[in-house]
Amino acid sequence: MSIVLARIDSRLVHGQVLEAWVPFVNADCIVVANDEVAGTSFQCMVMQAAIPSSIKLIIGTLEETASILRSADLLKKRVLLLFTSSEDALKVCQLGVSYPKLNLGNMHSSAGKDRYTCTIALDQHDIDMLKQVEGQGVTIVSQCVPADREQNWHKLIRSGGR
Amino acid sequence: MVGLVIATHGNLGAELLASAQMIIGPVRNARAVSINQDSSMEDVRDAIMAAIAEVGTDDNGAIIATDMFGGTPANVSMTFLEPQVVEVLTGVNLPMLLKFFNSQENLGLDELAGILKSYGQQSIALASEYLQR
Repeated sequence: MSIVLARIDSRLVHGQVLEAWVPFVNADCIVVANDEVAGTSFQCMVMQAAIPSSIKLIIGTLEETASILRSADLLKKRVLLLFTSSEDALKVCQLGVSYPKLNLGNMHSSAGKDRYTCTIALDQHDIDMLKQVEGQGVTIVSQCVPADREQNWHKLIRSGGR
Repeated sequence: MVGLVIATHGNLGAELLASAQMIIGPVRNARAVSINQDSSMEDVRDAIMAAIAEVGTDDNGAIIATDMFGGTPANVSMTFLEPQVVEVLTGVNLPMLLKFFNSQENLGLDELAGILKSYGQQSIALASEYLQR
């Protein structure tokens, strides 16, 4: 199995992912690692319906998806892995799933977070989590859609948030 | 009167409403919600909720028309689905909107939503296919 894109995106499966990233990285499997969504059958049903039939969709808790990603089940798949938060990205990493690069997609502003780009807002907790992910040998970049220039997150942090 | 919320990527919904009014004149009970790149999921949810409250003041319910199944506007709209109160329709187009405004006073929510779905689909045509007939 190869994880062709690991991405933090609070919108999970949506237009940018389906219409831009899936064709760009040529993914044939989307894995949604999220405890909350895994327990909401309606949301799972809607996501399933939104995805072309040629693409396999797996929605599960962090534990479940990590175990599938560690197994040989997806051996021949090109996987696009989605999280909603830096915390989940770290947990899955700590559960033994290795991905070479982590894409910061949509991490929108909420109270107490500083805005670094139009789509990325982080607080100290996020930065701590991401530093730990990085400590596992993962390169962290920001790139909202393929047409945007990929930027290392250090550059983002250095420029400061607002 | 059935209400209408158009929730779309960017200003598509607001422009569709403007285009509809260019054709049939001022419309009632309709609001557009623009979802932008920097809108958080909470922003989107709050904006759609406020729009439903504005257009659904009587007991006739509201339709949320969205641009694309699987996109954020549709994904968030789906969470407001409530049989006989709020219906969600995807793939909104101009003919659909015109049909909506011509029927919103005469039809109930469910019937109108069903009609709009097929009307929207039927309104799509490939001109060269007419030549082959």
